[in-house]
Amino acid sequence: MDKNNRTKFTIILVILFGVGLFYFGTDGFRVYTAESARMYELQQNKPSIPNVILQDSQERTYTFDQFADKKYVFITFMYTNCGTVCPQLELNMRDVYKQIPQKYFDKDIAFLSISFDPSRDNPEVLSKYRTYFESDGDTWRMARVNDPDELDNLLETLGVIVIPDDYGNFQHNSAFYFISKNGNLLEIMDFTKIDEAATTVLTYLDKEARD
Amino acid sequence: MKQAMYGLILFIFLILPPVATFLESIMIIHMHMQMPLLVFSGFLIARFFQIRFPQFFKNWNDNGIPGMLLFLIIWLYWMIPKAMDDALTLQFVEIFKFFSLTFLAGVPLRDSWGKLGSKAKSIVYVFFTLKFIIMGYLYIGIESQICNNYLIIEQRTLGWGSLAFAACFILYGFYWVFTDQSEFKTT
Repeated sequence: MDKNNRTKFTIILVILFGVGLFYFGTDGFRVYTAESARMYELQQNKPSIPNVILQDSQERTYTFDQFADKKYVFITFMYTNCGTVCPQLELNMRDVYKQIPQKYFDKDIAFLSISFDPSRDNPEVLSKYRTYFESDGDTWRMARVNDPDELDNLLETLGVIVIPDDYGNFQHNSAFYFISKNGNLLEIMDFTKIDEAATTVLTYLDKEARD
Repeated sequence: MKQAMYGLILFIFLILPPVATFLESIMIIHMHMQMPLLVFSGFLIARFFQIRFPQFFKNWNDNGIPGMLLFLIIWLYWMIPKAMDDALTLQFVEIFKFFSLTFLAGVPLRDSWGKLGSKAKSIVYVFFTLKFIIMGYLYIGIESQICNNYLIIEQRTLGWGSLAFAACFILYGFYWVFTDQSEFKTT
């Protein structure tokens, strides 16, 4: 090989290496942040929700399975002290809730807001917070998970990342989580796209009703 | 040869677990200090390879373009948010970071920069300036958290850091264009 060809050859080699590196690094050019990688993986694996013990705003205690009771479950994660994204998240959840026909709340779907700040979000706080979003405390409940290990396991399973900052707040990712009737994760949806989320949920419900 | 030794010492210092953990605990230090220092250690170590294997560099990196390309690819790869997160969560990615930035970025950078013509140099220079501006703009502007291991506030800091880099590059660029470089050439 003469010098010129050798240089060209090396350039091609380097570019191929680069393409390979970026391909593996981004799961085939699909994900550029670890967050999107997690989401992608979750949607593929559809993990089942751990059967955590919930305590709701009316001080009732039950496991997740008892609560779900073979219904679809629509979940968000929040904490009441949050001044930024959580109020928006819950407002959007309310807007989705309003788009679901009342008949489905009998035995097809339940809404659940889970607080990851159980030390501050006791039933009293939750029952106040719930009223801001017109949650009825029954078909849409707000609850906390008291056991720290159970909570960590739940967050880990659903890919919810919660980082406490120095001011008593948390930085966390937000999404709508939609759980199947047998307790598997079905969808993670963008919480800013209310209509899209409602349509997705209704598609599942309507299909079920027809069958 | 002496500087290759210093480079190696710097490299070993940087990969010591406590040092690495500390540098990686802050986003801007991770990206704008640890990573460039790794490249710099490779830059110094390059001397050893150049003396030991002159023929290899002459054969495969004659005009400096393959080496520069390799450097750019490695550097850009580590600008991907997922790559940075992976380095913190997966051991082998962390090891690859140390290896790639030092030996696949620092070493070829040393060997290539001097060989590049002034046109290629300018392109690389402008590319880096633009990269810093775009990255700064993105990291300051994005409302969501890009790296799971770092808070948004750190992301913003990194953005401003990138803009500071861009400002330095632009200033130096002016200096480069508007001064007579031949005055400083030692022949």
